[in-house]
Amino acid sequence: MPKKPTMRRGKPAPGPGKRRRHGPRLPTAMRRELDAMGPGPARGSDDDEGSDAGAEDVYEYEEGVPEEEAGKNGRYDDVAKYEYEFDSDASDADEDVPSEEGEDMEEDDIDDGDDEEKQIRILQETTGMPREAFDGKKRKQALELPLQHGDRDGPVTIHDLLDNIQGKPGYSKVRKRLQQQEKKTMTVLAPLPKVERDKIERKVAYKASNKELTKWESRVKMNREAPTLTFENDTNLGVNTVAAIASEFKPRTEFEKRIAEITQSAEIMEAHKNDGARILELNKIDVEDVRERQNRLAKMRSLLFRHEMKAKRVKKIKSRTYHRMLKKDRLKAASADIEADPEAVKEYARKQEFERAEERMTLRHKNTSKWSRRIIERGLTVQDEGTRAAIAAQLQKHAHLTRKMNSTKDDSSSEESSDDNEDESDSEAKILNRGKEKILKILEEDNEIPNSGVFSLPFMERAMKKREEATYEEAQQALEEYDDSLRKLEDNDTEHNEDSYKVAGKRTFGPVKNAHEEVKKRKLEDTENSSDSEYDSDTARHEVITKHDDIQPGSALLDDEPQNDLYKSFSDIIKSPGPKTTFEVGLLAGDSWKKVKSTKGNGQSNVNDSNNKSKMPVPSMVDPKLKQQDHNSDSDSEEDMVEGFLTISDRKEKYELPSQADLIRQAFAGDDVEAEFEKDKMDVLNEENPEPEKPALVPGWGQWTDIQQKKGLPSWMLKEHEIAKRNREEALKTRKDSKLKHVIISEHVDKKVEKYLARNLPFPYTSKDVYEQSIRMPIGPDFNPTTSVSALTRPAIVKKPGVIIKPIQYEEVNPHEKPNELKRVIQRAFPNPNAKKASAKQGKRVTTQKRK
Amino acid sequence: MASARLDTEKVKQDAQDELEMKVAKYSRGKGADLKVLRDKKLKAQLTAREKLYGKSAKDAAMTDKWLMPTEGGFLEPENDLEKSYRFKQDDVLKEVDLLSSTKPFDMILPVLGPYTIEYTSNGRYMLVGGRKGHLAMMDMLNMDLIKEFQVRETVRDVTFLHNEQLYAVAQKKYPYIYNRHGTEIHCLKEHGKALKLQFLTKQFLLASINSFGQLHYQDVSTGEMVANYRTGLGRTDVMRVNPYNAVIGIGHASGKVTMWKPTSVKPLVTMLCHHGPVTAVAFDRGGHLMATSGVDRKIKIWDLRKYEVVHSYAARAQSLDFSERGLLACSNGSQVEIYRNVGGHDSKLYMKHRMMKGYQVGKVLFRPYEDILGIGHSMGLSSILVPGSGEPNFDTFVNNPMETTKQKREKEVHALLDKLPPETVMLNPNMIATVRAPKKKEKKTKKEIEEEMEDAIEAAKNLERKKKTKGRSKPSKRAKKKEEDVFRAKRPFLEESKEIEGQPGKKQRVGEKVELPKALQRFAKKPQSS
Repeated sequence: MPKKPTMRRGKPAPGPGKRRRHGPRLPTAMRRELDAMGPGPARGSDDDEGSDAGAEDVYEYEEGVPEEEAGKNGRYDDVAKYEYEFDSDASDADEDVPSEEGEDMEEDDIDDGDDEEKQIRILQETTGMPREAFDGKKRKQALELPLQHGDRDGPVTIHDLLDNIQGKPGYSKVRKRLQQQEKKTMTVLAPLPKVERDKIERKVAYKASNKELTKWESRVKMNREAPTLTFENDTNLGVNTVAAIASEFKPRTEFEKRIAEITQSAEIMEAHKNDGARILELNKIDVEDVRERQNRLAKMRSLLFRHEMKAKRVKKIKSRTYHRMLKKDRLKAASADIEADPEAVKEYARKQEFERAEERMTLRHKNTSKWSRRIIERGLTVQDEGTRAAIAAQLQKHAHLTRKMNSTKDDSSSEESSDDNEDESDSEAKILNRGKEKILKILEEDNEIPNSGVFSLPFMERAMKKREEATYEEAQQALEEYDDSLRKLEDNDTEHNEDSYKVAGKRTFGPVKNAHEEVKKRKLEDTENSSDSEYDSDTARHEVITKHDDIQPGSALLDDEPQNDLYKSFSDIIKSPGPKTTFEVGLLAGDSWKKVKSTKGNGQSNVNDSNNKSKMPVPSMVDPKLKQQDHNSDSDSEEDMVEGFLTISDRKEKYELPSQADLIRQAFAGDDVEAEFEKDKMDVLNEENPEPEKPALVPGWGQWTDIQQKKGLPSWMLKEHEIAKRNREEALKTRKDSKLKHVIISEHVDKKVEKYLARNLPFPYTSKDVYEQSIRMPIGPDFNPTTSVSALTRPAIVKKPGVIIKPIQYEEVNPHEKPNELKRVIQRAFPNPNAKKASAKQGKRVTTQKRK
Repeated sequence: MASARLDTEKVKQDAQDELEMKVAKYSRGKGADLKVLRDKKLKAQLTAREKLYGKSAKDAAMTDKWLMPTEGGFLEPENDLEKSYRFKQDDVLKEVDLLSSTKPFDMILPVLGPYTIEYTSNGRYMLVGGRKGHLAMMDMLNMDLIKEFQVRETVRDVTFLHNEQLYAVAQKKYPYIYNRHGTEIHCLKEHGKALKLQFLTKQFLLASINSFGQLHYQDVSTGEMVANYRTGLGRTDVMRVNPYNAVIGIGHASGKVTMWKPTSVKPLVTMLCHHGPVTAVAFDRGGHLMATSGVDRKIKIWDLRKYEVVHSYAARAQSLDFSERGLLACSNGSQVEIYRNVGGHDSKLYMKHRMMKGYQVGKVLFRPYEDILGIGHSMGLSSILVPGSGEPNFDTFVNNPMETTKQKREKEVHALLDKLPPETVMLNPNMIATVRAPKKKEKKTKKEIEEEMEDAIEAAKNLERKKKTKGRSKPSKRAKKKEEDVFRAKRPFLEESKEIEGQPGKKQRVGEKVELPKALQRFAKKPQSS
């Protein structure tokens, strides 16, 4: 095959023979002579250029000297060279028509093959030797053609070869052809117009870029289809520890340099080393010490922890009483401290002073708070007792704090009493006690009688004695009074407690105001009832009772009075005996009812039993007589409780017989029910799909003449009516209840509901079924296990705020592989080591993927 | 050896089947056929989603398997001769565990009866209302009386609101709302003399029917009166809410049962159920079954998907109730009967319980999450054991019988946040978010008309025309014909769009004068010559 020719413009060709063709034409004979003379100096490149100048617009292509021709390589045999030369020339002649070249070749072959063939055949026939031998001979013959170019050192031209075969058969033909070729100018087609060239270029460029882009396809597809894209951030901020920064420190300023010089000087370093070693030596600690220290620390820690836990627990306690007690305890402790330590006394006094000053300044307790102002605004009379008491207490506190104090000592005592002003009785008792003490003191003091002066006079003495006696008596009386009142106070105390509990309790119906009086009254008239409140105050006992409640729900629901009795009965086990009470326990142990009656006297052991067992109380059968009594007592108490609002005179008339009219209505109710229903249904149907109006003419229209009357209604009217009728029937048939005789299902479209329905199919969906199926699953945490909720509710793009979304980078993905994980990481914090990365240039082509 | 292997294989197979069944239950129906989709992106995304759903369902099934191991059992007779309804409470009580044996009780409260009862949705608290004004709330977990008081007037019905903190009581004149401590919070005067109360938990609506047959819906969280409809079917005290879709069913004296929602003036469904007054209505938990009883001595079980009778028993019932697991309790006089499997083919009488003679059972109510039936009767209350009635596994996110205070608060807040608007009450709540059916007489928008017109024009243009002879198929003729066709196709749409724009065909300018015919011109008003 010939080597592909290269196109060049106006360049000197290495083949000198060919060069000549372009100049002014010379006769062939002269040219041949020139050729024979060999390459002259005129064939320099400069000359060439000059000669070519005239034919500038002629494009010509030449070929470089092939290797074979140059004779560089010995592996090419001569024949090959010959053929090559021949061939290339032929192709030179008309490059545009390659097919012609083939023809030429064939022709040539045939031309000089004909004789040879004949010759070979003859030879074969005569000698009987194989054909190959003669073939080779022939080739040899061809080889032996002498080259006549002799002195010329240029390459062999076709003319040289032609000269050799002159006179041989077919020579003329070859020469003719050659001449013809030589006559032709060696032109190359003009370049394509720019538009065309661009088009071709674009085509090629498109192909290239298409290839470039298609490799992204699978990746983009995957990104599109992934339910979640994740963009991670490059969080690597480099080394940022203090030590790392410090290690990189280099002294820059003069000062820093000097310091560095000093600190890093060899001596100092040495000294530091030595010193450090010594320090380390000093640091030697005994194992025992360490252990001890550790133990101590652990102990402290555990103590602290316990304390903390306790504090936490205490803080959580919501009981006011508890906190009150706690406060009292604290104060007591403080007062004990005060008694012991004069320093503490002073401190305390100062504190009190400070508090008073603060109070005077801020008037915090003088109804200035928002709460109290609001209360006052609403009116004190409207408030309940507790609020009023609280207001009063506050005011009292204010008074206490703002009162002028004479001495610190007095302060403290009064303060102490005023501080816990909530239980006045306490302070009252104290006052009383103090009075008592004073009186006793006076009594003691009174015994001394001055022995000299006016007072020593006998009458004076007598009078004094008399007075003394009187005062003694008075004092005694006062003492008694004090004692009395003290005792009373103690009693009152318990009463107060009762009262407060009464207020807090849930079992009171009446207004709370009278609770106190009620309690008093009750106390007076019946000690039994008071035990009720006693029960309340005793939490321990309450627990016992609740335990019983668990087992005996029946009793819990009984009316108030029996319930009280029940509680009483439990409390009585522990406390004072009272009058006989009954309680009822209903427990199912079969179809029959068993009632327990436990009286104070004999029932006690029974209940005790149950107490000890802490199980179901053993119900004992009671004779009906007792039962009857129970009922009576129950009803009595009932009526008491209701206070005449609800008098239950006759308990038997609970279920009245229905009246005669009712009975009749009920008996005949079913008769026309179905017909009625059908009528109803028709009504509803007519309402929703009204029956078309019967076609009728407007009176006076279309009835003027006989003909019109005879014709009847116009056909269009009838038709319209028919259509309307048919439509209605169709509508009725498509109703859900069309086949259900006993059901009317409203077809009415609720407009309010419409806002919860989708108006159109949402965008990417094209099928209603698919859409409705896709929303069938709830995705909330209430309906899915926690393991899948996060996956179900993950957003389409996961990205932390501040993350910069970089241009997409090329990564090779297998397009046929189904992505296993639903989360797709688009931008990794650290590049994926498995994936091949494309160059940044490629990456920039596709900037961002739009996500829908 | 071989048999053992077989056995293990069988067990495995059973477990597998069970799991599959549960997975099917949790995947809530099959996914749509995605092959019809052309959009590859959507297809891929939906496929991924389906995969997730499948995984979630499987997880849920596994969770179900491991975390809800308790199975509810029923009373099972040993042979055919033995009948489960012959078991007395005594017999049952002997067999059950200690904890369950403490639960049944009888309470004789003869004075203020007959009693009605109500449980909270988690089954922990019971509200007791005596006809003569006795109200009490009990903690049924530890049998503790929380509050008991007398309102001193008739109490017709009681109902808890969203939790035990509040409850409504239909009293002599009005319904009242009390709190846990018995403090009166509200008096709902608008409701009038309410006979029956029901609470729609998800919507926070208190529904009542009063003596005039008026149905009221009031939002208890905002206090707003949502709806007030007249049923027009007379006085009734038979009302029940369907737990599935919060539709209210009311039984009437005419034998009808009507179903109502707060946003519809007319009943959604009217069914003729009985030939006499309806005495009781009850709905299954799944919402597909309805039981009604009438004076005509019939108890009917209805399939609410088809509105057809499934079963009809010849029995009377004053009160009906479905348990969580589908048992149906009916009370008749002093007897309580419990049916099992009422929706299926092999429905049968399951248990029977006879109260003391003369006791009139007013209300039967299954206690949620317990195998207990509460009975309110004329002489007090009682509760009996009904094995297999309650849901054995409770979901603490839904209802927690052992709720702590904090959980209760949390749940209350959540419930309020998740409160559904009253419009969401509908017969088929799955309809929400689906594509609405096209309206019949909906006017098309301009854009739609234009689109349709374009389509019609396109169709007219592409119409294949017959080849005709004798010069009638000349290009000019064909072009003309085409133009005509297009115009014909266009015309109806043009008219339609004109109608929408409200422009009459011929618009007469005000100033323009109408030229009268010559004969009539002399009658025209002449312009005043000044």
